[in-house]
Amino acid sequence: MSVSDLFNPDGIAVVGASATPGKIGYEAMQNVIEFDGPVYPVNPSASGSVFDREFVSAVTEIDGDVDLALCCVPAPVVPDVIEECGEADIGGAVIFAGGFGEAGPEGQELQDRLVDAATEGDVALLGPNTSGFLVPEEQLYATFATDIDTIPSGNVAVVAQSGGLAYAIAFQAENEGVGVSAMVGLGNRANVGFEEAIEYFDTDPKTDSIILHVEGTDDGRGLLETCQRVETPVVAYNVGEQDVGDFAESHTGALTGEYELYEAGFAQYGVPTVRSSTELLDAGTALASSPRPDGPNVGVVTAQAGPGIAITDRLKAAGATLPSLTEETQEIVEEILPGITFSANPVDTGRPMPEFGEVVDAVARDENVDIVLVYELYEGGLGYPTDDLEGLVDDVDKPIVFASGGPREIITEELAELEAIGIPTFTAPERAADAVSALVQYAKRNAEPDAVVAGEEVSADD
Amino acid sequence: MTDISGIGRSVLETARDEQRTALTEAEAKGLLAERGLSVPDHETVDSPEAAVEAAEEIGYPVVAKVSAPSVQHKSEWGGGVGVAVGLENPESVRTAAADIFDAANGAGIDASVLVEEGADLEAGLEVIVGGTRDPSFGPTVLVGLGGITVEVLQDTSHRIAPVSTAEAVEMTRELEASPLFDGYRGSPAVDREAVAEAIVAVGDVLDEHESIREIEINPLLAESDRAVALDALVSLDDD
Repeated sequence: MSVSDLFNPDGIAVVGASATPGKIGYEAMQNVIEFDGPVYPVNPSASGSVFDREFVSAVTEIDGDVDLALCCVPAPVVPDVIEECGEADIGGAVIFAGGFGEAGPEGQELQDRLVDAATEGDVALLGPNTSGFLVPEEQLYATFATDIDTIPSGNVAVVAQSGGLAYAIAFQAENEGVGVSAMVGLGNRANVGFEEAIEYFDTDPKTDSIILHVEGTDDGRGLLETCQRVETPVVAYNVGEQDVGDFAESHTGALTGEYELYEAGFAQYGVPTVRSSTELLDAGTALASSPRPDGPNVGVVTAQAGPGIAITDRLKAAGATLPSLTEETQEIVEEILPGITFSANPVDTGRPMPEFGEVVDAVARDENVDIVLVYELYEGGLGYPTDDLEGLVDDVDKPIVFASGGPREIITEELAELEAIGIPTFTAPERAADAVSALVQYAKRNAEPDAVVAGEEVSADD
Repeated sequence: MTDISGIGRSVLETARDEQRTALTEAEAKGLLAERGLSVPDHETVDSPEAAVEAAEEIGYPVVAKVSAPSVQHKSEWGGGVGVAVGLENPESVRTAAADIFDAANGAGIDASVLVEEGADLEAGLEVIVGGTRDPSFGPTVLVGLGGITVEVLQDTSHRIAPVSTAEAVEMTRELEASPLFDGYRGSPAVDREAVAEAIVAVGDVLDEHESIREIEINPLLAESDRAVALDALVSLDDD
């Protein structure tokens, strides 16, 4: 089974293509003709053309290179379509229809037939019961959803158990001006599940982090092992905290819920976890655009006390360490800003000022600091210290995260300049703190075992 | 090591051959004791007189519990005669054992009596250590504070098993109740590492024996220099 036929096709067939607007076979055609490759509408009962492409009667009749079939047909005929895909040497298929494993024993029977056909014909299936996937950079919109061509391309791959949540995250990214390398709704995971998707996007050159939405899988351990095995950082949003059993049988059984096991398992296997889709996107963006953090020590630089305190509070609650800065750094900071408000950590400059960038530079170069978090309200006439910070991320090889507030029209453009020099930006103090908390978790959860034992958290002899 | 798992296997094989869904408490404790866990001195007997002899040997106070593969909720069994604690003399042991045998006869089951060294619950912290074979994750372990705390507050920490001792120590530190392990209001600190070793043992046993579905040590009494499994349940796969 080749998942790359599915996610990286040369040509596409739309099975159940329709010339009637509103039908999913029409919407899927409309999306997929944006793709830079041949697209074939397939429908045995249609004639003529749709979007200037001639209808073909069956996938086996296509004269051309096709790897991916979008199945816009009702559930009962899907297994037969997949059998034909196998015969036509089409290695990937997206199945939009519901009414399979999620719909009781009869649906499960249909899904079993589907999987048998896919195994026989060597077809990788996305779904059933999915809204498909997007690869914005390739203008590959394998979906019937509308207006998805607005979602910008980027370097975060969204892999969601629910297609609805996948879109919720992708459109949130669009609203924030952040891009995705791919967006995938897994649906019923008939033969492509988390493991296959994660392994594929790990090898995808466009993807620098993978963010997961997880409701529950049959092989949680397999998912964890895959997350640990891949090189690309993975972040997970695990839903279902309120599912708690009763105590009728035993405490152990009642207390061991899927949610607890996912949270514990992700921690054990090196995966940061978050509590909302917003946090998931922010964490994925921070990980994708920053060097990997070496440790949990955060240096905070703020131009305003209040946001700095809120950030510090949140970081500490999340298990971050705010180390003392070296004397050398403190001297540099005091030289730049004599009588500075607070020159320890957080460093509070009291207000935005021309030297703010130099202060950030000094803290970023401090050997006690693994990650830098900067907060500065926008001040007209002063702007952001973009010029001072250019090249700093590469130089120190540490994540630098920047948060600010100001009029949207002005800061959107100015923050984009910071993003362009490798500094992820956020417009709320807490969102930046949460993104940095995910970096801290990533560092702690992927620390060498010796480092963990030597750390503060584990000390076996007291 | 081969000997130890050999003993474990034979107890499990016997239980499986008898198509039981659980080990007896004595078997469960034996399985865990082979892994280095502390368990109270105990003896399984088949008459009130033998119970008294066992008590004399172990030393008072003792506990008498019903021991039969079909009885898992011992304290609720037989109208409450299934567990008798704080037995200070031969007469109370004889009475408690006789009550258990009578109730077993009445229920038509073949039961023994487990006579066990009494524990001073005040001398330590009651902890629950458990492990279950999850359909999605395989062997998993948990630790929490014992008694009603675990039900009401659900203050537990979980891991996918097997775990290292360092990881198990970290689990105890994740509990909201973690400071209680370090001593409070003049009570001594308890042996956190001994609790961790119990967690490790539970994870290892689950990992090595596919036929075990669940293990629960509740309570594990954490004392200043050891942790003692006062009750243990090992449930087996139904099929």
